[in-house]
Amino acid sequence: MHVIVATDGSQASLAGARQFKWIADSREITDVTIIAVVSPYAAVPFVNELGPQRNPGQTDLSFLDEAKDTVDRVAAEFDGWGPRIHTEIRSGSPAQEIIRAAEDLDADLITMASGSRGLSRTILLGSTASRVQHSAPCPVLVCRPTPHSERALR
Amino acid sequence: MTTSAERNVVQHGELKRSITTKQLYFYVVGDVLGSGIYVLVGLVAAAVGGAFWMAFLAGVAIATITGLAYAELVTKYPQAAGASLYINKAFRSPVLTFFITICMLSANMAAVGSLASGFVRYFSGLVGLPANAIWGATAVALVFVALITVVNLIGITESVVANVVMTFIEVSGLIIVVIIGVIALVEGVNDPSVLLQFTADAEGGSAVLAVLAGVSLAFFAMTGFENAANVAEETINPSRAFPRALIGGMLTAGVVYVLVSIAAALAVPIETLAGKTLLEVIRADLFFIPAGVMLVVFGLIAMIAISNTTLVTVVAQSRILYGMARENVVPAIFARVHPARRSPYVALLFGAAIVGALLVIGAAIRTSQGGLPADEQLDIVDRLATITVVFLLFIYALVIVACLKLRGKDESSDTYRANTPLLIIGILGNLTVLAYTLIDDPEALFWVAGLLAVGLVLYLVQNFFGKKKPPAEKPVGATPSDMEL
Repeated sequence: MHVIVATDGSQASLAGARQFKWIADSREITDVTIIAVVSPYAAVPFVNELGPQRNPGQTDLSFLDEAKDTVDRVAAEFDGWGPRIHTEIRSGSPAQEIIRAAEDLDADLITMASGSRGLSRTILLGSTASRVQHSAPCPVLVCRPTPHSERALR
Repeated sequence: MTTSAERNVVQHGELKRSITTKQLYFYVVGDVLGSGIYVLVGLVAAAVGGAFWMAFLAGVAIATITGLAYAELVTKYPQAAGASLYINKAFRSPVLTFFITICMLSANMAAVGSLASGFVRYFSGLVGLPANAIWGATAVALVFVALITVVNLIGITESVVANVVMTFIEVSGLIIVVIIGVIALVEGVNDPSVLLQFTADAEGGSAVLAVLAGVSLAFFAMTGFENAANVAEETINPSRAFPRALIGGMLTAGVVYVLVSIAAALAVPIETLAGKTLLEVIRADLFFIPAGVMLVVFGLIAMIAISNTTLVTVVAQSRILYGMARENVVPAIFARVHPARRSPYVALLFGAAIVGALLVIGAAIRTSQGGLPADEQLDIVDRLATITVVFLLFIYALVIVACLKLRGKDESSDTYRANTPLLIIGILGNLTVLAYTLIDDPEALFWVAGLLAVGLVLYLVQNFFGKKKPPAEKPVGATPSDMEL
């Protein structure tokens, strides 16, 4: 079974990856692909909240490198878990690229996090997760940020 | 299940780049086309006279040469930071890099202000807002800026398809104008000799000076191409895509501009066009669809075109602030992103506040100028466009210098190489227009200084109050570029 773990660089997505690991049986899973999507036309194409928040060098900020750092950090969560771990960075609209990746990789499950807690966040909640659920070629595990999942972060 | 015993090895996939040469081309065309011609055509016509297409031609020429330098640099350094990155690579001076970044930020803010005011002119034309309602117009401009900011906060500008659709809409409006021009030529509305006429008040009657007076404004119409560097990281085969898309896109925009200005000059008397918008060309009622309908259609097209360019400019502006915050040169608060929408909301709101302040200051000045004759009053579109151009001409000239200075460094076999004599002409062209603009409109310097002061304040706040902690953690991807190789 091939599982896609999508991350947008947020703490919630890291919590979602941990939740997935907790739910899933590693013996059933052969491959895990960690995917981050960079959106070139967005004001900030990729935000990495998992890595350092400072860039030491002037003008060195690279959204591609931010995404690489993020997938590496999420991949580190699966160290020693069992399945083969792959990372992939795609470019385009997040929902569309996650779905395309699932098609390209013939994935059996997509796991991702959705939004975060709080009223404004619920209203504006991650359209990416809902769009992926609508057209994914496989089951989708959407991890909601709950007090439980935030405990898992620590 | 046999695999579960295998070693846990992370296998890196390559980046799946998404932007093709064609998409990049549309991005450049869309970004360049919306900015100027819809807003500035009347002002350029007023400055030059019937031959104002020459000002656009000269503007296009200088901008395209600058585009060559960008194409060369972006193929060498395909990263998002654009001009600041090239200046940093060439001069290795943190102060100069910071200054250029602030110039770029200021140029973007002034451009948004100018575009918002230009939007109001079309909006007024559509709803019949009186031309002398200064605060009414300013209120509409502020609402426009607020809406654009909200759209960016929600982050719905990311669609590639939307970008292409917007570009087609922008082009369609200009094609209508060109068709009207052809009809006007066939019907003999204006004598074609108008295309060689210059305004009487060009000093000394010199044609060169008259054109030069229009170039700085016409130049505003060509700006925006530098935003192409924003998507450098995600472009497929950048060393092939950039020279083609950038130069192709700019030449396309240039041809459209020259044709549109020729068409406008043929269709309506210059006195009618002077200081007004392209709506005057529609109002001449030469098209086969009645002017009443076309005014609404064209007004909407123009407003969509201006909105599209404003959106891209605001994106670029918030990205610059975000980048500076991440680089520790302005307070870290500007790097805050909305948890669900992933948009840099502090940077977006701050940018909107500064643009709003520019618009309100402009309105206040115009209110105080009530007694002056109309042509001595401040034209906010003109002034903010001029400020943008002053900043950009300076940046562009320096980028070309950086391009020449970085020759021989970081080159590979497929690096695009711009023609050196052309680049030198480009530096001279940029500096000539810059010098003329400042001599012609020295008051613009106050506004330039004001915007630079905002950047300085941010810098000082960061230096005195910002935490100067070294990065707490060594980045995991310490040598990310090695991973790519």
